[in-house]
Amino acid sequence: MNNKNNIRNFCIIAHIDHGKSTLADRLMERTGQVSERDMEAQLLDSMDIERERGITIKLTPVRMFYKAKDGAEYEFNLIDTPGHVDFTYEVSRSLAACEGAILIVDASQGVEAQTLANVYLALENNLEILPVINKIDLPSARPDEAKKEIEDVIGLDASFAPLVSAKEGIGIDEVLEAVANYFPAPGGDENAPLKALIFDSYYDNYKGVILFVRIKDGAVKAGDKIKTFRSDKIYEVVETGVFSPNLSPKSSLSAGEVGYIAASIKSIQDVAVGDTVINAENPADEPLPGYKTVQSVVFCGIYPLDGSKFNDLKDAILKLQLNDASLIFEPDSSVALGFGFRCGFLGLLHMEIIQERIEREFGLEIITTAPSVSYKVIKTDGEEIFVDNPSHLPNVSEIEHMEEPIVKADIYSPPDYLGQIMDLCREKRGVFLQMTYLDKSRVRLEYNLPLNEIIFDFFDSIKSRTRGYASFDYELIGYERSKLVKLDIMLNGEVCDALSMIVHEDSAYTRGRTLCENLKEAIPRQLFEVPVQAAIGGKIIARETVKAVRKDVLAKCYGGDITRKKKLLEKQKEGKKRMRSIGSVEVPSEVFMQILKTNKD
Amino acid sequence: MAGIYVHIPFCKSKCSYCDFTSFPDKLCFAESYMACVYREMAMRREELKNYLFDTIYIGGGTPSVIDENYIAMLVVAAKKNFKIAENAEITIEMNPGTVSAAKMSVYEKCGINRFSVGLQTAEDSQLKELGRIHNLKDFLQCAKLLKGKNFSVDVMIGLKGQTAENIEKTIETAAYAGAKHISMYALTPEDGTPIYTDYLNGELPDSDTVAEMYECGVKKLKVLGFERYEVSNFAKRGFESKHNLNYWRRGEYIGFGVSASSCINNVRFTNTFDLDEYFKCILSGRLAVIDSEKIDDDGQKDEFIMLALRTSKGLNVEEYNRLFNENFIKKYSAVLQKMRQYIEVFENFVRIKQEYLFVQNSVIIEFLEYKDAV
Repeated sequence: MNNKNNIRNFCIIAHIDHGKSTLADRLMERTGQVSERDMEAQLLDSMDIERERGITIKLTPVRMFYKAKDGAEYEFNLIDTPGHVDFTYEVSRSLAACEGAILIVDASQGVEAQTLANVYLALENNLEILPVINKIDLPSARPDEAKKEIEDVIGLDASFAPLVSAKEGIGIDEVLEAVANYFPAPGGDENAPLKALIFDSYYDNYKGVILFVRIKDGAVKAGDKIKTFRSDKIYEVVETGVFSPNLSPKSSLSAGEVGYIAASIKSIQDVAVGDTVINAENPADEPLPGYKTVQSVVFCGIYPLDGSKFNDLKDAILKLQLNDASLIFEPDSSVALGFGFRCGFLGLLHMEIIQERIEREFGLEIITTAPSVSYKVIKTDGEEIFVDNPSHLPNVSEIEHMEEPIVKADIYSPPDYLGQIMDLCREKRGVFLQMTYLDKSRVRLEYNLPLNEIIFDFFDSIKSRTRGYASFDYELIGYERSKLVKLDIMLNGEVCDALSMIVHEDSAYTRGRTLCENLKEAIPRQLFEVPVQAAIGGKIIARETVKAVRKDVLAKCYGGDITRKKKLLEKQKEGKKRMRSIGSVEVPSEVFMQILKTNKD
Repeated sequence: MAGIYVHIPFCKSKCSYCDFTSFPDKLCFAESYMACVYREMAMRREELKNYLFDTIYIGGGTPSVIDENYIAMLVVAAKKNFKIAENAEITIEMNPGTVSAAKMSVYEKCGINRFSVGLQTAEDSQLKELGRIHNLKDFLQCAKLLKGKNFSVDVMIGLKGQTAENIEKTIETAAYAGAKHISMYALTPEDGTPIYTDYLNGELPDSDTVAEMYECGVKKLKVLGFERYEVSNFAKRGFESKHNLNYWRRGEYIGFGVSASSCINNVRFTNTFDLDEYFKCILSGRLAVIDSEKIDDDGQKDEFIMLALRTSKGLNVEEYNRLFNENFIKKYSAVLQKMRQYIEVFENFVRIKQEYLFVQNSVIIEFLEYKDAV
């Protein structure tokens, strides 16, 4: 079927847990894409982490065929989108590959903050939006109110919105029919030079980089010479195909279609997601719009627990980067942790996911340092630099002043929790902008907040203080001058670079004290007394002491105890392998991660 | 050097800290049990015919609760089946509440020449708490019977409510009673014992307090003429336990009875901990070994180091070099350098300084770890 009039490319927008993956599964099942028997719950979320957390990280397109009531057969390409605020760029890429978006709204919960952000993103991309009211089977379902909310808050006509229960399989046919009738067919010119949007990619051990593309103009087939707009490397297409949802070869892809291209691409740097694939022999002269270099917001150091695994870690990060254009990294070294990488992430969730994937998918144990943001440092000689690694901060005497990134945060909450939210924002140095009552049960609070105050635990705090009712979104708005200092931690008199952090002057003392107290608990007692100190520019602001160990011996060691004693020592020895030496002090690797948790309320 | 250990798994009542194999309610099986032990000895006779044993240690449980004649027969059986050195050290453990003049005379007649008495503490309230069947008076009576003989006293540190003064008093009591040897143990609360609950409830002195009290005890012992020759063992000169020294030299030993361990020809093995199983095996003519592990070269070195460093004298470098055909000092020079604050080399012995004997695991680990690294 190459009639692009019968193609529908669309995505699904939903708040976490509003049933996006379930509906997607249901659509696939109903179109016979997968039999009910073969269905693994929530097919699209194929990563373990995604299933466990109930979130979508990775885009997974799938092609379906649907025979509409008018007798015509349609090709549906469903492009799944990540649901978290960290992945806005990933969402924008997948939206750019679609003409329509299904907006799922929970019949009992109504429109949520995150949903809004993505709806606006979809509207910006000129997508048609089909509202769907889900979970109508729940006793608490209020479909009419949900419809009204869509009309009030978003301004969409929701009168024709299908009422659905994805879980129970109710209303699925209506959704399919609406997709066919309501979403436009893709535009584009099959005879024009090739233009294909890369909206995702992953690395296959046999085929090299697999590009996920939406063909905007022209066509591509095996044997074609292609390149991307922003790189000069030329590749020969080995295979083209579609997602069913596994890769299934198809002799060519043409304008309007969604599919993949394999071209023995080995170098990951040359196929940035968001870039445009063109024909090397008949190149289009302009790229598709919307490409941007992703900007990292949160940074941290990642080191192998076992120093000899540096190369394995490098391979792992390289492979992850292949699927994730937003992950950036550079080699880094630390006195305490040896060789590793400084990595940049879209946000905290993104960071956690990458850490978890390295550990799970590559079986590597890693140490991560406290997350940091990128600070602007204006030096006395007028030079402006950006520093995200505290140990790269210039000497105090060379710093004229420093600026920190500020975000504008939108917090949506029921009015009952306003007090708690405002307290939290005040603690985090927030500047109140305005408050809007969206309706009687929802308030929108706007704050300017320093990014470094929210990268630790803001998200968790706001959830716990509002019993999970509030949602939160933010965007970077710029830099502001701020009194920032570098807080160093010294163990037995030696600065431990991996524990240094940049903090606001006002919170340095408290932070230093908490750090010392926590370290005192976390560092095992050594043969000698270990002072744990926090210092700013050489001035000690807090001190704790890890007392020397007094007794570690097995009282009795006679005939029957020898094997046990040997095992005990063996275990202790294994434990030591997880330690890092800071000067003469041995510190368990876990300590570096516990630092993350020092910012307790 | 080689030793024989015999385990007597009976006692009058189980002490609250005890996790040894011992059955307070099965004293009626003593006769059959001892018959099995004699039989087990006979089963090992051929295998061990070339060994000369210097020590016999009869431990438990409470060996002194069973009929003294079984003990005498046990020594006879050992002498009948194995070559026992003329001047062998033969020790029996006993509870102060279970000894009589008649018992003592039978023990001595059969050749037992060393006695180990479980005093633990001189405070009656603490003894009661531990579930010991004796009190201070019993000990003093027992001590009268032991006057002038080679006997050792066990002292325990870390009891509920114990103070440094209590410990000093206990040591003095033992010393004035004429003990030639004192084993002073820091209480190890083992999971599954009644005292473990106290430990979990934080009712026992913490490890720092134990270390402090222990230090007081060490000082007291020194004043009274007891020299520390191992982490937990102190003796008047010449009265060190040969049987235990053999363990720390990585010597060979054979164990008889339920739960007894052995190390023969670099194989470590243990008998079953189950009394019925033990009976079943021996009565059907089989040994009762459950675990057996061949110690390879590396394992032997690890053991040699970790055991030797428990002793005050330390690790005999010449012996190590000869046994393992490598140069200890050269191989571990980096560790010796790194740990120089805690270790000293004295007359061809490498030893942990007295004041660090109690934190020796941290030191020993360095050797084991380094060995892996090179």
